[in-house]
Amino acid sequence: MGDGFKIFELVKKVLFTDFVKGLSITLGYNVSRSITHRYPDEEKWIPYRRFRGLHTLNKDEHGRELCVACELCSKACPTQCITVIPMEDDTGRGIADRVAKVWKVDLVRCLFCGYCEDACPTRAVRLGREYELACIDSRCNVRQREELLHPQPTPEAFEGGVVARATFIRKKRSIKVKADLMNTKKRSI
Amino acid sequence: MEQLFFYIFAITAVVAAILVVSMRNAIHSAFFLIVCLLQVAAIFVLLRSPFLAAVQVFIYVGAVMVLFLFAVLVLDVGKEAFREHMHSQSVPSLVMVAALLVIMGFMMFSGKLTVPPGAYNEAALAKNTEVIGRAVYTKFVFPFEVVSLLLLIALIGAVVLVMRERGKGADRNKPEDI
Amino acid sequence: MMPDISIILETLLIVVKAFIVTMVLFVMPLPLTWLERKIAGHIQVRLGPWRVGPHGVLQPFADMIKLILKEDILPYKADRFLFVLAPVLSMVPAFAVYAAIPFGESFKIPGIEREMTLYLTDMNVGVLYILAVSGLGVYGMIFGGWASNSKYALLGGLRSSAQMISYEIALSFASIGVVMMANSLSLVDIVKAQGGSLLNWNIFYLPVGPIWFAVFMIGGFAESSRIPFDLPEDEGTLSSGFHTEYSGMKFAFFMLAEYIAMVTISVLSVIMFFGGWNAPFNIPLPIPPIFWFVGKVAFFIYVFMWVRFTLPRYRYDQLMNIGWKILIPVSLVNILLTGFMRIG
Ligand code: SF4
Ligand code: SF4
Repeated sequence: MGDGFKIFELVKKVLFTDFVKGLSITLGYNVSRSITHRYPDEEKWIPYRRFRGLHTLNKDEHGRELCVACELCSKACPTQCITVIPMEDDTGRGIADRVAKVWKVDLVRCLFCGYCEDACPTRAVRLGREYELACIDSRCNVRQREELLHPQPTPEAFEGGVVARATFIRKKRSIKVKADLMNTKKRSI
Repeated sequence: MEQLFFYIFAITAVVAAILVVSMRNAIHSAFFLIVCLLQVAAIFVLLRSPFLAAVQVFIYVGAVMVLFLFAVLVLDVGKEAFREHMHSQSVPSLVMVAALLVIMGFMMFSGKLTVPPGAYNEAALAKNTEVIGRAVYTKFVFPFEVVSLLLLIALIGAVVLVMRERGKGADRNKPEDI
Repeated sequence: MMPDISIILETLLIVVKAFIVTMVLFVMPLPLTWLERKIAGHIQVRLGPWRVGPHGVLQPFADMIKLILKEDILPYKADRFLFVLAPVLSMVPAFAVYAAIPFGESFKIPGIEREMTLYLTDMNVGVLYILAVSGLGVYGMIFGGWASNSKYALLGGLRSSAQMISYEIALSFASIGVVMMANSLSLVDIVKAQGGSLLNWNIFYLPVGPIWFAVFMIGGFAESSRIPFDLPEDEGTLSSGFHTEYSGMKFAFFMLAEYIAMVTISVLSVIMFFGGWNAPFNIPLPIPPIFWFVGKVAFFIYVFMWVRFTLPRYRYDQLMNIGWKILIPVSLVNILLTGFMRIG
């Protein structure tokens, strides 16, 4: 029994079976399609909704800011990277007459834990799906309220988890990859 | 043309040989020894003996010198060992060299060191390997076999020596890694 | 007057051929590095070089520019003489091998009534010459490793010398087997002996042919220090082995030598086992023999890269065991077998 097994092993060694097996596997991979995302030239990954990226400040259906400057988010934040300064404003900018004068987040310190959105009583702050956060000087790491109030390119309703066709836009002070949400496909990994 | 090449090779070989003994660093000596051996191989080619030339390069330069370098690299030869060059033997060695040169020169000029080429003319030597093979396996088969036996004995001797040393040590049977 | 002209022409032809071969060899590593990365990429289900030029074909040129512009560092307390010489020492033998390698038989040059051979010389000790000269490349590694005054480099040099000694024996035995099968040391004769059809190729000289081929390939992988036998430049343990301290063009020379060594082993395996420029079977189409030759060599180059991205590296003691305890006994038995078959 044991001897037969040994002879079998020896025959396997002499015929290089393991070696050939390995080679056939790598050959299979060699001719299979590559799974590389052609980011940023042609494709861009659109994350799922659960993704936690750049903060966004939401508005209600009448265009009023949802944030009531309660500062709960900045209290909940473990890294103290959100600064909220409230002020009074009854012109209908916000849903209440207390709105944020300053609402800024320091992205270098943020660890994208999502505690801020959990703490928010009005669901004003959400972590969106924008992940291209690199920029060319340290000031632009602090994102201001005005910028965060713009809706993000990927709408909340969009399912995500797909690869979209994209174009690479190179400007003097920035680069951007613009995704075409109409032209997407699932990518098996 | 051939003369010119011969002188180039010969002079390089002699210069390299002198450098071998005068270098202060063992690795540099080894390098010049390689140069010297290669020049000798080139001279073999000029002598219509490409087989010997190839074997010279293959065995001496390709194998023996590599092993030699391996040993030199592993050994820790201090600088002091090379400080003293002639080991106070300069006078006897000079005398010996002079005597050797005189004898060799005398023999060369009196024509005692040349051998008639015999049956081996250009055409026969074109089949260099065959000529050597035939000579070694027919006419010189006895000395050839004796030499092989000698090499075998040396090989077995080396193995026995190493084995005995291994047996003595307590845990010497672990494979030595590099 | 007449013979004079032909001698001059002959010399001129040799110079031109040598020049062409050298140039081709110099340029060869450029597409090969690209190909190697591409194959590496696709085997790992990636794309490989992509951004410099279409499909990254200009990547080697970018690398070349980088290597030329890089600072040429001479390490502290390095041995200047041997440190500078070592890359050349490893490159020259790699080129010199091609003096004896035939790429085809001869053809008539259109215009002048002359035969042109597709080899520089047909040495009657061709196989020995190639084995001897290709073995010299190791000095570049040893001296380079020693001269850099670095422990990693020295260990790389040591390993390469030990590996060289062990595997050159196997490689030479395999060549002896081929010489026995072809009855000649000349590479042109070895190819001619395999003419006719597929079944005359040495690899199909059953049962010894395939064994010789296996021994030759394993020896060849070790000789050109490619994975799985690239112990001299083992990144995992020696940072990068004998060329740790080299940068810029000197490093490029080492790379060049390594790629040419790989091509040499591919060419030799085609010449010795796969019938050189002979077509596998009779095809009525006028396909030039050089086409078969280049095609087969290209296949073997692919095999080298394919194996590189399939197998892991052997341990040093495994390397020595394979060399001394498997390849050499197998070769010795096989020589005996081949001898009997040649008599019978
Ligand atoms: S974002 Fe939400 S938690 Fe933060 S201040 Fe505004 S309302 Fe309060
Ligand atoms: S995600 Fe976490 S770290 Fe970032 S701002 Fe919100 S609470 Fe602070």
